[in-house]
Amino acid sequence: MGAPVIEAQNLGIYFKRNRRRHRRLRDMFASEEPPGVITPAAARGKRKPRTGGFWALKDVSFTVGQGEAVGLVGANGQGKSTLLKLIAGVLIPDAGGIAVTGGVAPLIEVTGGFEGDLTARDNIWLTAGLHGLSRRAINERFDEIVDFAEVGDFLDTPFRHFSSGMKVRLGFSVITTLDEPIVLVDEVLAVGDRAFREKCYGRMNEMLSGGKTLFLVSHSEGDLRRFCTRGLYLNAGALVTDGSLDDALGQYQEDADRRTRK
Amino acid sequence: MAGQVLSAPTHLVAPSRFSVLWGARRILALLVTRDLKVKFSDSVLGYLWSILDPLMLAGVYWFVFTKLMTRQVGDTPYIVFLLCAMLPWQWANGSMRASMRALSKDAKLVRSTNLPREIWVLRTVGSKAIEFLLSVPVIVFFAVVTHAHLSWYVVFAPLAFLIQSLLLVGIGLLLAPLAILYGDVERLINAVMRLLFYLSPVIYGTQDVQHRLGHAVARIYILNPFAGIFDLYRTAFFPDQWAGWRAVAVSAVIAVVTFVAGAVVFRRLEGAVLKEI
Repeated sequence: MGAPVIEAQNLGIYFKRNRRRHRRLRDMFASEEPPGVITPAAARGKRKPRTGGFWALKDVSFTVGQGEAVGLVGANGQGKSTLLKLIAGVLIPDAGGIAVTGGVAPLIEVTGGFEGDLTARDNIWLTAGLHGLSRRAINERFDEIVDFAEVGDFLDTPFRHFSSGMKVRLGFSVITTLDEPIVLVDEVLAVGDRAFREKCYGRMNEMLSGGKTLFLVSHSEGDLRRFCTRGLYLNAGALVTDGSLDDALGQYQEDADRRTRK
Repeated sequence: MAGQVLSAPTHLVAPSRFSVLWGARRILALLVTRDLKVKFSDSVLGYLWSILDPLMLAGVYWFVFTKLMTRQVGDTPYIVFLLCAMLPWQWANGSMRASMRALSKDAKLVRSTNLPREIWVLRTVGSKAIEFLLSVPVIVFFAVVTHAHLSWYVVFAPLAFLIQSLLLVGIGLLLAPLAILYGDVERLINAVMRLLFYLSPVIYGTQDVQHRLGHAVARIYILNPFAGIFDLYRTAFFPDQWAGWRAVAVSAVIAVVTFVAGAVVFRRLEGAVLKEI
């Protein structure tokens, strides 16, 4: 394991169930500390702890070294995507901290966060540009991105007219072409067809041998075993297992079995 | 030590917001360029569309006040008098309205890139600022046609631009997160904007307020930061109409305070906003 590139310390994030509604103006300045975090104001009993929310992640601590391939497992709604978003820096934790060394290329919204109204061409330019690729670098890689995604005939088609397969292909192609040393991939491989999946495998192997750090969320054991040696298993927002992928998958299986038996 | 649990480990403390934003200036330029491209290259009439609105509004007031009624405020040539404040007003109006959507319009991009989030507000105000600058030739055109006299006070126009930029960024930083968290903000501000137009020296000058309503009222009137700003632009052609530095100083102070407040509130609400969009 190389030098640590992702360090999470007692990471926690709190979501309200009744979003947007019942928001009081004074919440604006009475910073919304979730229950469990003792603020000076709460300690003096000035504010009742707010209820109606839940910790999507709580007390999650782990360290990932450079070049590691980590598989993130857990049932739906246990915090996997939320964790990826925290690593990507597009959510801010309510408790604890997370430090990421180097940039992150996130493929967390299946389509890489592309805009529906823009054409594929504009989306490639915009996304690559927002991740800091220079004009020249984009020019150099543009054809490669298009070829890999197999969308050459649809470059000037608005992204929203793309089929879901094409969307994923383009998203994967752009995100994996970026220079960022950490790559997050959330449930993408399941969407592409078989031929494209093979190409993705090739691309991911390339990235790993190039020393990139990979975070993979998948419900496919095969995909996880193909790349990951390390496994994190999340259940109800808590990091239950941090060990080898086998440990994580084993624990996940065990919990799942127990639940079905009930 | 107790506080440390809640914050990131000390060696991981983020560099100051300004240096992060400065590092992202190329990306800001990219976003602004794209906005302008969309605006101006989509249709042949792109540029005309962008000035049509203030031009029509100015035309209406010019017609009403010089052809139908006897104008008792402002100065001649009245069309130039109007445009000097109408175009900056258009920038202010457009930028405040767009700020409320700065984070929701491109929510997908905001959600998938780890840029300093202030950039989405800067981009909004910046695009509108450049549209404003591109509309300045309209004033020049009417000034030439009406033989308006340009005074040396025009050197203060960049100062007015600077104060207005600071003010609009500050307001934008306040409005962008509030509009996401509180649904009523947008409706409220839209109503306020209508009122603000008439409370700002656009169809009349600050001096008119002073002459007609007295010094006491004028002193309150200039608490509207746009008064000092629009006045300062206007001295370029109408130095006699200028109410003086006091209003400009008030505007500058309010702009700085708003900017600081905006930066603080934005950071404070950032986490909650990211959960909502």
